[in-house]
Amino acid sequence: MVSGDPINVILLGAGTGGTSLLELFARSPGVEVVGIADKNPDAPGLKRARELHIPASQDVAELLSRDGTGLIVDVTGDPAMAEFIARHNPRGIQVLGGMTARLLWNLVQHEAGIQAQLFQAAKLATIGTFTSGIAHDINNPLYLVMSLAEDMADESDPGVIRDHARDIVQAVRRIAAIVKGLTLYARVSSADDLVGVDLNGALDEALKMARYATVLNEIEVARDYVARPVVRGRPEEILQVCVNIVTNGVQAMNGRGALRLSTRREDGLVTATIADTGPGIPRDVLDKIFDPFFTTKEPGKGTGLGLHIARTIVKKYGGLIDVSSHEGRGTTFRLQFPSAG
Amino acid sequence: MVDVFGIPQKNSRGRVLVIDDEADVRKSVTMSLTKSGYEVIEAEDGQQAIGLMNSGDNPLAVDVIICDIRMPKVNGIEAVSYFRAQYPSRPVLVLTGFPDIQLATDLLKQGVVDYLVKPIEREKLAAAVESAMTRSRKAA
Ligand SMILES: Nc1ncnc2c1ncn2[C@@H]1O[C@H](COP(=O)(O)OP(=O)(O)O)[C@@H](O)[C@H]1O
Ligand SMILES: [Mg+2]
Repeated sequence: MVSGDPINVILLGAGTGGTSLLELFARSPGVEVVGIADKNPDAPGLKRARELHIPASQDVAELLSRDGTGLIVDVTGDPAMAEFIARHNPRGIQVLGGMTARLLWNLVQHEAGIQAQLFQAAKLATIGTFTSGIAHDINNPLYLVMSLAEDMADESDPGVIRDHARDIVQAVRRIAAIVKGLTLYARVSSADDLVGVDLNGALDEALKMARYATVLNEIEVARDYVARPVVRGRPEEILQVCVNIVTNGVQAMNGRGALRLSTRREDGLVTATIADTGPGIPRDVLDKIFDPFFTTKEPGKGTGLGLHIARTIVKKYGGLIDVSSHEGRGTTFRLQFPSAG
Repeated sequence: MVDVFGIPQKNSRGRVLVIDDEADVRKSVTMSLTKSGYEVIEAEDGQQAIGLMNSGDNPLAVDVIICDIRMPKVNGIEAVSYFRAQYPSRPVLVLTGFPDIQLATDLLKQGVVDYLVKPIEREKLAAAVESAMTRSRKAA
């Protein structure tokens, strides 16, 4: 557990290593990044720091002269940096650099890799709960293809044959669209740079997936979207957040009820709300829903990782997630991100 | 449309009511069973099917009901229990997009005569309908 005052850290180096450390520190209680510097003005960590409202600069000496720093972490990889720090560190603030910084960096990379694997595994487990819905949606057009083909086999009217062929092509297109949606969701998140992701599109795509989660198909959906609510992130991760939350709503209503999806954009923030008319969440459960592996669902229906993953991803992008619930009336989740639009 | 509520046409092997929210599926069933000599009536969901059965002075003369599970309004599970209660002599077949052993067992216990999974070949569907009709005639 964390004890005492937070450790105020200055990060030197905002390349890949610095950015990963920045993200890790930013979400660690007990660690406060008070500044980050890199000689390269385009270093990815500087941009990320600004998104997280952390002072970013290109002037290492200036950063070192500030008060209140508890630790300097040097991941510049620049052999001359150690000496530079020594010259500009009159108060003798502790420095983590060289081999120790590399060790830390290795541990962080390892942790990030394990987390990525866990998230991916959770995604695939969720697809497992979608099997029946997917089978249903694919088998319907497949059935049409089969019966049209059977009909064509003993049909001699070229007009009818042509119509059937056209209908078969359309049915196959529908199946292809379903498979495409699934592969988009199942795809391993790219390690590439962050891009603008439209929350409306993510919610719509998530709803398609979430519908697979129940046998019933009696959900009335109301959309109330603002134009272009764009956030910066990896599309696969933003989609995973939306799928997890919308799926919970659909499951809570047991496939029957009303789901309201809305997006807003104001004061540099983008907000998405997902409201269901399910049974709500009891007070004593509410505290636990974001805990990893907490689930009230039977095996095969839930892993207990959905909200934990959603929160981890949202926080990584400098956002927040909260919930309000009324027993017997329903639950509303709210996602908020810094706007990228 | 009123004329379909009468006695099945003379040269028809029987009349089948198919309930499925997807037009594609209704079209498939109609195509397959018409080719096999049946007359087919379509309903989009359980509610419409129940309305159809109960419209007019006499219940609609259907020999076999084929019902999907996943539908809006009155879903398949509810529709099946309604038909079993109100029209116990009409055989009900379930035609679904996914095989669910638990659900199949429950439905068969409720008196559903067969649990069929899409996509189904024309001959298999016709055979299932035929055997359901034979059984219900024997029972009558
Ligand atoms: N919309 C909701 N309505 C009611 N309960 C919910 C809702 N969303 C989440 N929960 C509760 O939170 C728990 C944890 O959710 P989650 O982390 O997504 O895991 P899982 O869905 O696999 O159980 C659920 O098991 C459920 O009890
Ligand atoms: Mg969940």
